[in-house]
Amino acid sequence: MHIKTNKKTGSLNAAALFLPLAMGLVAPTTAQEDEEPADEWFVLQGGDVHTGTGAVLRGASVLSKNGKIDEIGYDLYIPEEAEILDVAGYRVYPGLVAIESRGLFGGSSDLANSVDPFSKNMVLALSAGVTTARNGSEVAKLRAGHIDGLVLTSGVLPGLSYSKSNPSGKRTLRQKFEVAVQYLEVYAQWEIDKKSDKELKEPSDKGVDSSILRYLRGEARPVFSASTRTDLLEIARLAQRFGFRPIINGCQEGWIVADELGRAGASAIITARDRSTKGEELVRTGGSSIENAAILHRAGVSVTIIPSSAGISLGGIVGRDLMHLTIEAGFAVRGGLSEKAALDGITIEPARLLGVESRVGSIEVGKDADMIVTDGDILHYQTFVQWAVVSGEVVYDKEAELFFAHIRPRPKSALSPEERVDAGETEDEEIEEDSDDSDSSDEGGEEGDDKGDGTFRP
Amino acid sequence: MLIPLLLAWTPNPALQAAPDLPDLYALKASVLETGTGEVIEHAVLLVEGGKVITVGEDLVVERGIPVYELEPNQVVMPGLVNAYTRVGVTGSGPSGVQPWMRASDELYPAAGDYAKAREAGVTTLGHYPSGNGIPGRSVVVRPMGASADAMTLKDDAYLKVIMSSSKSAKSSLSGGFKDADSWIAKEAKNKEKWDKAKEKFDKEDDEEKKKKLDPGPYKPIKEDPKATSFMELRDGSLKALISVRTAGDYLHLIDAIGEEKFSWDLRVVMTRDMNIYHVIEKVAESGRRVVLEPEISLHPGTMRQRNLPAEFARAGTPLVLVPRNDSISGFEAWRRHVGEIVASGLDRSIAVRAITLEPAALLGVGDRVGSLEAGKDANILILSGDPLEPGTQVDAVILEGALVSGEMNL
Repeated sequence: MHIKTNKKTGSLNAAALFLPLAMGLVAPTTAQEDEEPADEWFVLQGGDVHTGTGAVLRGASVLSKNGKIDEIGYDLYIPEEAEILDVAGYRVYPGLVAIESRGLFGGSSDLANSVDPFSKNMVLALSAGVTTARNGSEVAKLRAGHIDGLVLTSGVLPGLSYSKSNPSGKRTLRQKFEVAVQYLEVYAQWEIDKKSDKELKEPSDKGVDSSILRYLRGEARPVFSASTRTDLLEIARLAQRFGFRPIINGCQEGWIVADELGRAGASAIITARDRSTKGEELVRTGGSSIENAAILHRAGVSVTIIPSSAGISLGGIVGRDLMHLTIEAGFAVRGGLSEKAALDGITIEPARLLGVESRVGSIEVGKDADMIVTDGDILHYQTFVQWAVVSGEVVYDKEAELFFAHIRPRPKSALSPEERVDAGETEDEEIEEDSDDSDSSDEGGEEGDDKGDGTFRP
Repeated sequence: MLIPLLLAWTPNPALQAAPDLPDLYALKASVLETGTGEVIEHAVLLVEGGKVITVGEDLVVERGIPVYELEPNQVVMPGLVNAYTRVGVTGSGPSGVQPWMRASDELYPAAGDYAKAREAGVTTLGHYPSGNGIPGRSVVVRPMGASADAMTLKDDAYLKVIMSSSKSAKSSLSGGFKDADSWIAKEAKNKEKWDKAKEKFDKEDDEEKKKKLDPGPYKPIKEDPKATSFMELRDGSLKALISVRTAGDYLHLIDAIGEEKFSWDLRVVMTRDMNIYHVIEKVAESGRRVVLEPEISLHPGTMRQRNLPAEFARAGTPLVLVPRNDSISGFEAWRRHVGEIVASGLDRSIAVRAITLEPAALLGVGDRVGSLEAGKDANILILSGDPLEPGTQVDAVILEGALVSGEMNL
């Protein structure tokens, strides 16, 4: 009880004392805060910025404002309140995009309401550099610690089947395309006729597959899972006949029919280490090739790379799970793909296929500040992600998590500047220690401060 | 409801066996834990009419008042308060959103567990309704009394809410408030309609016509028990105890609450590798109480031990500790388990408070039970030693001034 009353009087006194001050100073600032929250600034300072658009800016800084990249370059004006992460000597890459993932978000679907933003798998995926991933039909950012601003889009990668193992399905799909094309022709004619005859009725789209209309109008791209040469050729022909751009998942024998796929404007989702052999009875070339990604890319097929398991696996499939997305891309490079194309294949290309390329996939002004900081080439097996930044906030720090902190620990000197011990600071400490001995020297120390650190010594 | 009423006449054998204490008496103990965290040495406690009259160090006791001098090793503390238990009630409830249901309807005064609960030193129990979702309201009882009413200390103590990272759990909370809004809107419309009719009626001068226009007395629309419960939450007459398992659940809870303002406390279900530590700071800032079990958990994916109750306490969160197992044996091991987490870092006075005064405050009966202070119920435990030491026995239990377990000699 005593404490309570004391507190009360204490706070009353304080209020009385500071009331005029508060009226004068606090009131206007609080009013401002009500209007709009303060901007949040974040800087990745002094790293080698691989923007993902082909440019490498050595020792540059990336300034983000409220989660969006505001400026990239040198000698930027950095607001005082900005949070600065000194990454001199490190590389900065766009956050990686996983075209497929399982179990990263804790929740199954409806991520906005079911995500577990502290899930271990999310941290592990961030440690592998992944900052955006598709989960079912949703595309979400790995915003560890937050449940908002997560889902970028949903309803992505609509699937279609067109395989020789299902001939009747093939026929049905072809017919659907024919119906849709006919409808589009009638519709185009109506648009012309409408100009002369305003009464003319709009043609009915009854019986026309609406999603196929979207593919034909270029509003979406269907995904086929296909790997054999025959299926790939058939898909390429279908696409060229009706005029849409297919995405092909698997695409193991794509290297054999790369030209056809390129002409059809196809995109491929590839696992560089996929292995299969052709049937021995076949005379033609077949099976998988380490050169698959390289050959397809040369033929104009955009290549997206994904490991054979899209989950996080600490046993069994080790080395082929989502934590080894960059290793998988490295294998594509081994097969002849350029490093630039390999990086694209795990950043901007998957972002395009998922329709989120305006938000993520490269470091460009206006895009989300989703970046990773590595201690070496992203495609090198020894490289670790040191920090992952999502929406202008550090969501992964190798030293702060248990998983890899002990493997090749970050050198202390590379820590942020305030933690560096330099000669000046040691001197200051000595002064403090000396002045602690007696009260008189303590006072002296305070006076000396005005003259500057160098001039006064007890 | 019928069964408890019938059994209300059955005399309770355990109660009769204990010899009665006088109406007015004093206890002298070498150590007394008040429950607020304070420890009084050479304490004197005066009880009259089942209430604590005064408590203090070396107080002079008026001649004629019987004084029970305790052994030097014995320690006095307030009766334990278990805010989250179903020991004594056995019903099972359906899951879903039924905020109007009451655990008090399940009370069964003759349940043998109450006598065992008293023996274990638990003198106040907060019974929660079973079921998932928002299954109903809890009731605070004393483990004694011949009828449900005689047992009840306070009904509607808190609304039980189970929150998880799912759309259904989130919308059962936010949807409840929406229901309240739509009920209020409907009611307002109804009132408006009646007001207009009344106005028309009042303006009419012609007696004949006036008769036809009479809207009659105002009739509000039918009460919606779900909407009413959420309105009670809003106006503060009902509070909520919300259970979560993970840090993610907590964020989803905050998201589900949104702008809504109501009084609630948090319960964290203990699991082996729980990650609630991610939001300890956030919880502490919110100022909510946290109900935990006195258990050492493991940092996820490791064998590193974490003392989450201690971490919450250090962050400034008012702590409520409930037994690890909701059973009589759990009650018996309760103090020992609390002792274990004190040994590994939890502040001792916070720990004692977390099993006495803090749970009483959570249940809304902090002004009656939970501590040994003047004016409060004389719920007293006499222990054979330090309450948190393993091996310390409950020598005697006094419930509202009366001896209900053990022996006391002048």
